[in-house]
Amino acid sequence: MLKGWIRQQNRANRSSTISMALMGMLNVGSGVVLAWNLAAILAELLTGRTNVNYTHLIFFVCASIVRVILGYLQEITALRSGEKARKRLRRALLERFFTQGPSLLRYQHSAALASMLTDRVEALEGYFSRWLPASALWAIAQWFVVVVVFTQNKHAGLILGGCCLILPVFQAVFGIATSIASRRQFMAMNRLQVRFLDRIRGIATIVLSGNAERDAQALGQAAEELRKRTMKVLRVAFLTSAATDIAMIVALVWIVIDQGQQLLHGNSSAHVTGIIFSVLMVPEAFAPFRALSAAYQDRAQISSTGEAIQKLPAQPKSTLTVDTKALKQPQRNENGASLEVEHVCYRWLDDRPLALDHVSFNLESGDIALLEGPSGAGKSTLIEMILGFIKPLQGHLRFGGVDMAQLHPSEVTRHISWIGQKPVLFAGTLRENILFASPDVDEEQLQAALEASAITDYLPMLPDGLDTLIGEGGFGLSGGQAQRVAIARAFLKDAPLLIMDEPTAHLDPATELEILQALKKLLKGRTALISTHSPQFHNIGETKRLIMQEGRIVSQEISS
Amino acid sequence: MTRLAPFLNVWKKRWARLLLGLTLAELSICAAFLLMGQTGSRLGAATASGAVGFALLRWAGSSRILLRYFERLATHDATFHVLADIRVWFYRRLAQGAAAGLGFRRSGDLLSRLVSDVQSLDSLYLRILVPILTAFVSLPIVIWLVVKNSIPLAISIAVLFIITAFLLPFFAARIAYRWGPDLQTAQAELNNQALDLTTGLRELRIFNREATAKEKLFASEDTFYRLQHRQGMAMAHIHAVSLFLTKLGVICVLAACAGIVFPRPQAVMGMTILFVVMTALDNIVDLPRAGLILGQVRHAAERVSEVTMVSQTSHQDGQNSAPEGYEIEFKNVSFGWTDERPVLNDISLRLREGERAALIGPSGVGKSSLAALLLKVATPQRGSITLGGGNISSMRTDAVRGRIAWLSQASHLFDDTIRANLLLGRTNISDDEMWSALEQAQIADFVRSLPEGLDAWIGENGSKISGGQGRRIALARVLLSKAPVLVLDEPGTGLDLETEKAFLKTLNGLEQSRTILLITHRLLGVEQLDHLWTLKDGSLASHRL
Repeated sequence: MLKGWIRQQNRANRSSTISMALMGMLNVGSGVVLAWNLAAILAELLTGRTNVNYTHLIFFVCASIVRVILGYLQEITALRSGEKARKRLRRALLERFFTQGPSLLRYQHSAALASMLTDRVEALEGYFSRWLPASALWAIAQWFVVVVVFTQNKHAGLILGGCCLILPVFQAVFGIATSIASRRQFMAMNRLQVRFLDRIRGIATIVLSGNAERDAQALGQAAEELRKRTMKVLRVAFLTSAATDIAMIVALVWIVIDQGQQLLHGNSSAHVTGIIFSVLMVPEAFAPFRALSAAYQDRAQISSTGEAIQKLPAQPKSTLTVDTKALKQPQRNENGASLEVEHVCYRWLDDRPLALDHVSFNLESGDIALLEGPSGAGKSTLIEMILGFIKPLQGHLRFGGVDMAQLHPSEVTRHISWIGQKPVLFAGTLRENILFASPDVDEEQLQAALEASAITDYLPMLPDGLDTLIGEGGFGLSGGQAQRVAIARAFLKDAPLLIMDEPTAHLDPATELEILQALKKLLKGRTALISTHSPQFHNIGETKRLIMQEGRIVSQEISS
Repeated sequence: MTRLAPFLNVWKKRWARLLLGLTLAELSICAAFLLMGQTGSRLGAATASGAVGFALLRWAGSSRILLRYFERLATHDATFHVLADIRVWFYRRLAQGAAAGLGFRRSGDLLSRLVSDVQSLDSLYLRILVPILTAFVSLPIVIWLVVKNSIPLAISIAVLFIITAFLLPFFAARIAYRWGPDLQTAQAELNNQALDLTTGLRELRIFNREATAKEKLFASEDTFYRLQHRQGMAMAHIHAVSLFLTKLGVICVLAACAGIVFPRPQAVMGMTILFVVMTALDNIVDLPRAGLILGQVRHAAERVSEVTMVSQTSHQDGQNSAPEGYEIEFKNVSFGWTDERPVLNDISLRLREGERAALIGPSGVGKSSLAALLLKVATPQRGSITLGGGNISSMRTDAVRGRIAWLSQASHLFDDTIRANLLLGRTNISDDEMWSALEQAQIADFVRSLPEGLDAWIGENGSKISGGQGRRIALARVLLSKAPVLVLDEPGTGLDLETEKAFLKTLNGLEQSRTILLITHRLLGVEQLDHLWTLKDGSLASHRL
């Protein structure tokens, strides 16, 4: 599952991986030209030729410039491909979020989802721009260098090839240990970071309970423990790097000694060039492998991100088989729209008891029903089902005479308004937050909604009126003020069915009464289902009372 | 650089380790010079004179391997030490003052941004300081070697070296610094948009605005990537320049070897110089990029030190310990978080030992400020507050907080076990005490039903349990405290009516010696009170019961 996902990512990035690897190969090629000409110049110096030969120097300069340009292009390509990959991944994630819909919030905290969209996606940059090209390139590039050296000097080629062969052996010895260890170390680092962030967020709680010093010491100990563990890991992990160093330096020293002895017995300029060339190519042969090791951390990232994404609930299979356009629209009259709930069942997780256990009730157009019961009775689950966020495992919901299973989720929400405990205020102006509901309304309709929701009462107190910035980093609205924004949104949407989930749970009694006044206006001409604990709702004009307990409706009363 | 001073101070106590890492790095680069120099000179000598000994080469090779290994270990070890120190230091500084105030104002996001700033300080030693200081040592070695041969060549190499290793990084740092926090701001904006989108999933679906939210997110993504692209391009450009300069250095030496422009060196010497110069230049080629990073680290450092400076200045602590008695009295107290907006105006109240009181008022009128004053998070502009007859301004802050336990509206639940959340680092509390606190907070049955019991993990800010359950665990934590005074700020938030009533009833059953101040927006009728106060427009009114 995870491997399949990673393969899929690799495939999507293939074209830029290949182009980066090709540039890498060209870079190695220009490195060969560079070293060859350098060796030639030195050979002339060593064999004592006095006439100046410009050709090699010109070649060297040209190859240097090519190398600089190639390096530049490689970096830019990496930049672009990393960006493209992250954009692609973010879009795929968003698609998944929206397909799953708001019920996702039942499984994961919104902050965790947000960090998946941002931090986790961003952390993958290195995987696409560094690891993938390095892993595609290293073996080919390394053996290309070995072969080139072999053609120039058989001895040196064999020595270099032998040392390169040892690398995979070292890898086998240390590699497995290192990969497990570095993954563990990576996770431990991550955990310390998360712990630190968690402590800092909750620092007031700790400070005010008088435990700050103790906790600081505990934090220090945790970091110290992490250091000890990490160092244990690094001692082994660095052995892999040391192994690369050993292989390289052994190759270098061996070639110098071996060839040095040969040089003692007279030689031609071409021979000397070959030897110096071989020595110069030694670091070049190991460079691709170093690039690979340097990108190892990036590889660990993709697995951890992949795991997090795999943990998201699976996308629901689309049960929509009928052509929606052929179907009739939900019926609405001047009193609202009807809602019939028939024996619906639902459970959030397979091993949990039913959250909704054969729930049935009817609302006629214009009915106002109160939904009561202790927390955890299934009220919120029922509301999410009516809103189309989740589909019943059994049973049916009929809305305006149409089976909801045959409506697209967005078609369902088009006819329903919802007011929760606290509305989400988006970063932006108050006007944007209200018009969020229906951006096309005119100024007159906006004014009417402001009046009806009594936002006009507090508007003069805001620094910039309707253009006051609210939400993240903006002016803080109180609970009652925010709830009026939700009411204004519902007015503007003008849907026949209104669902409310404890709309006054966070308000003081005085504010609650004011909100109730605004709600009464909103209820006119709509069918409503209101989940609440507050006795204040008992004179809002309700026609029904539904009481839920442990996923069942235990009592249905009709009020006058 | 002055802004980096406080962090360098943190480094001070690890100077030995930092110095060891640095020394090994220097020795390691010297070994590399020796190795490559020997490679050049032995090859040269073998060709030119025929007299060859390889002992020094072998020795240089093996010391390079060993030194490189131990250098890596030592520098990483030092980095981890400093990393831990900086976190603890930052935590302490924040805890000393700013934290409590920030907590009252709920600036969780500001704090998490600071955390990532602290994180970026980690690269200072390993990625910036060690390489630059290594360059300082390699420069004289290289010059000493070349100058014996040709002064013009030595000058050329020195100029190229200084530009690449010092001037380019310096200017790169300047440029990156001048960009300011643009990139961080753009990233924060992207994070905000993502958070808006995920928290608003319900609203977006209901009002059919998913497409708009997506566009907004993509717009901030575009801005962020545009800025990131600018930085990436700058990195690519500056790296290309430094790569070119280092190649130019090699070309200079090669020209000398070919007898062009510079005087031709003797063969063996020429080989040696070439190999050493190549090694030295290879080692500095990444420094300009490090300069760009330094520019950003400076910004991070400034933000961190700003916050910690504030906490230093606003921190004023008394000397005395708290007295035995715990009668609380506010005398003509006036207070506002800012001078323009006073929250409390000439408030006086008295809460005797063991009395129960409720403070009622709509949200946002300053009820929590009263708790903040009592806990010495803030100091009143006028008036005095006494605890057990002594003015709290003369007492040590932690002594006051040891006498008054506080349940805030935003009480944080840690991503840890229930046990750890209850103990908060305390070690002197038995399981029995924990269970009885859980019992009082009406949550013991739930905890018992968990397979791991007290050791169950509750997730990030209690995400694995419901809001009401989390709230009750926070309550149990406060009840566990030995403090004789309990200040409960909206204890009913997130509880359903029945649970809240049941909880308030258990408060009635607590030891009579404990003082309780209940801050709430409504009464449920089950509270047994000695005082009922309401707060409106900054003034306090007492009501008969």
